[in-house]
Amino acid sequence: MKEDLVLPAPREATADSSGDPLLVVEGLTKHFPVKGGFPIRRTVGAVQAVDGIDLTVHVGESFGLVGESGCGKSTTGRLITRLLEPTAGKISYRGKDITHASRKDLAPIRSEIQMIFQDPYSSLNPRQTVGKIISGPMEINGIEPTGGREARVRELLEIVGLNPEHYNRFPHEFSGGQRQRIGVARALALEPKLIVADEPVSALDVSIQAQVVNLLRKVQDELGIAFLFIAHDLAVVRHFSQRVAVMYLGKVIEVGDRESIYTRPRHPYTHALLSAVPEVNLAEETETGGRERIRLAGDVPSPISPPSGCRFRTRCWKAQDKCATEEPPLVRISGNHDGHLTACHFPEDPTIEARDEDIVLDPALAALEEGLNDD
Amino acid sequence: MTSPIDIEGGGTSVVVDGDQQPKSKPEEAKQLEGRSPGQLMWIRFKRDRTGVISAYVVIFFFVVGLAAPLIAKLYGKDPYTVFADERPELFDSAGVPLQPNGGISGEFWFGLEPGNGYDVFTKLLYGIRNSLMISLAVTVATVLTGIVLGVAAGYLGGKPDQLISRVIDFLLAFPSQLFFIASMPVVVSLFVSPRDETPVYVRVVALIAVQWVLGWMSLARILRGTTLALREREFIEAAKVSGASPVRIIRREILPNVVTPILVQSTYMLPNFVTAEAGLSFLGVGIVEPTPDWGQMFSKASTELVMQNDITYMFFPGISMIIFIVAFNLLGDSVRDAFDPKTAR
Repeated sequence: MKEDLVLPAPREATADSSGDPLLVVEGLTKHFPVKGGFPIRRTVGAVQAVDGIDLTVHVGESFGLVGESGCGKSTTGRLITRLLEPTAGKISYRGKDITHASRKDLAPIRSEIQMIFQDPYSSLNPRQTVGKIISGPMEINGIEPTGGREARVRELLEIVGLNPEHYNRFPHEFSGGQRQRIGVARALALEPKLIVADEPVSALDVSIQAQVVNLLRKVQDELGIAFLFIAHDLAVVRHFSQRVAVMYLGKVIEVGDRESIYTRPRHPYTHALLSAVPEVNLAEETETGGRERIRLAGDVPSPISPPSGCRFRTRCWKAQDKCATEEPPLVRISGNHDGHLTACHFPEDPTIEARDEDIVLDPALAALEEGLNDD
Repeated sequence: MTSPIDIEGGGTSVVVDGDQQPKSKPEEAKQLEGRSPGQLMWIRFKRDRTGVISAYVVIFFFVVGLAAPLIAKLYGKDPYTVFADERPELFDSAGVPLQPNGGISGEFWFGLEPGNGYDVFTKLLYGIRNSLMISLAVTVATVLTGIVLGVAAGYLGGKPDQLISRVIDFLLAFPSQLFFIASMPVVVSLFVSPRDETPVYVRVVALIAVQWVLGWMSLARILRGTTLALREREFIEAAKVSGASPVRIIRREILPNVVTPILVQSTYMLPNFVTAEAGLSFLGVGIVEPTPDWGQMFSKASTELVMQNDITYMFFPGISMIIFIVAFNLLGDSVRDAFDPKTAR
């Protein structure tokens, strides 16, 4: 098992969609019950955190999952690692159905799916030494590497760029970035095939973010581990992932390879999301005419009672009657690349060039800009 | 639970290594040895002068209690000898010691008890011993129950949590002192028929049982809350993702993190149990004559014969108990401060 992990996975096999998929998620749904009522508490509704999403992650591939806060990204990650019990749908790992597998059933594949957590301050047990934290998963799964666990832990510390002499230190003696590296080392300890990284850098300083992302890339390239990379930072995902899915309110609304999503997006929400990324390079903007500018109004609707039909219609500038009655299927729209699927009745043009007129739906922002133009 | 002795050894060696051998190469690995939260707590505790002095006082009392038979042997008397019969020349016709201050002399250091003429010094030694042993037993029982039920409620959640929490609420609603007084004779009569002489061990077991039943709730409630908060931490999820069993998660991930409230609470609980036990013996439902007991000595001191003739008798159990309780409570404060330096007093 160790040998095939040490070899770098062939990049070609991972980039395209051929070969047996590692992880297949079909119609995955998670509804959290909302209890209420007096005197007898009963279920009065459900937070539809994740509502029927389909994903496929191939061997050695890095799959990005983006969306704004509260859209169900993290819930999806926790469902796949089976920290949460799915309400409906199917998760299969290498063809084996693990949707409702018990802890004992999961035991053989536990070592193959690992997780990196968001908050480095709460993901390490403050009472255990670094050595104990990293060797814990090996101990649980009864893995006895050649040369002993301690040697393996020191090796892992070196892989993630920490001093192997830190073996006997405690988490409170490390900075946020170092702690996150310890978290990465713990995830690598079992030589997994798939790592679910739940916003692994969003709690870190920008300068440290780059270090950790590059570490994850290095790990992915050298060990050929597939990643499900959950983030709200589009730039980080672009840097890290070969394929990207965009989520909105518990649904995947667009999925495709990196180039398609970032340069030829079709769904209005993807356009809005991309245009919200702050641009540093002003010179380039003026040369090429700049990027499109879309500013949405209002908040994401409540996932307890999501809008009918297309969930984005309440904030969409192209919404029509059809959007309220008919839910758009996630399909390939003509002009899209292979594997680029969009769920929209009225897709946008596949470009992110500046439009003739900015779309500013936020009335306050619009009024402000009006005033500026008058001056 | 990490014992303070372990921490002592680890803590000091780390300080010594860090200070004295910063240059020597072979020691480098040792130098990088981290300080655990427990070691840091021990270092902070050692800086707290009040805490250290209180700790010595408390340890002194426990040593006295443990070594009571030895001290009594060296001293040459035991608390059961009726000196009113053995040495009648020391007492008047009412059984009051003839010499002033309750018969304090080079032979009887703390004097003699009016009435039966027990030796007060050995009686106090054995009284401390018995009181501390009972209170320690109660503390151990309540802490263990509190850990099991509190951590179970917090970790399992849902129905078990509801059940345990309601039981805690129900028991906390009891007026505990009244319940102790009322239930002691009942519990004793469960074991012994009222016509027979009650053996001492039955009273001891009853005292422990009654205080245990109404003593575990506060710790259990605190541990439930702490566990509930810990359960949502990501390192628990990390252990679950690795496939850890619930038993392992509780033992390896949760218990080490609830040591702080356990230690702090038990240092607050033990002196409370000592006073509660003394109170019960004072009221006559705890340990009774001739078994020596701290609280029962107060009871004796308040009888008419002793009150009117020998006011010094009260002095020894009273002062020793005040010193013990104050020192133990100060120790509890210091332990809390050492574990939680951010909370201002």
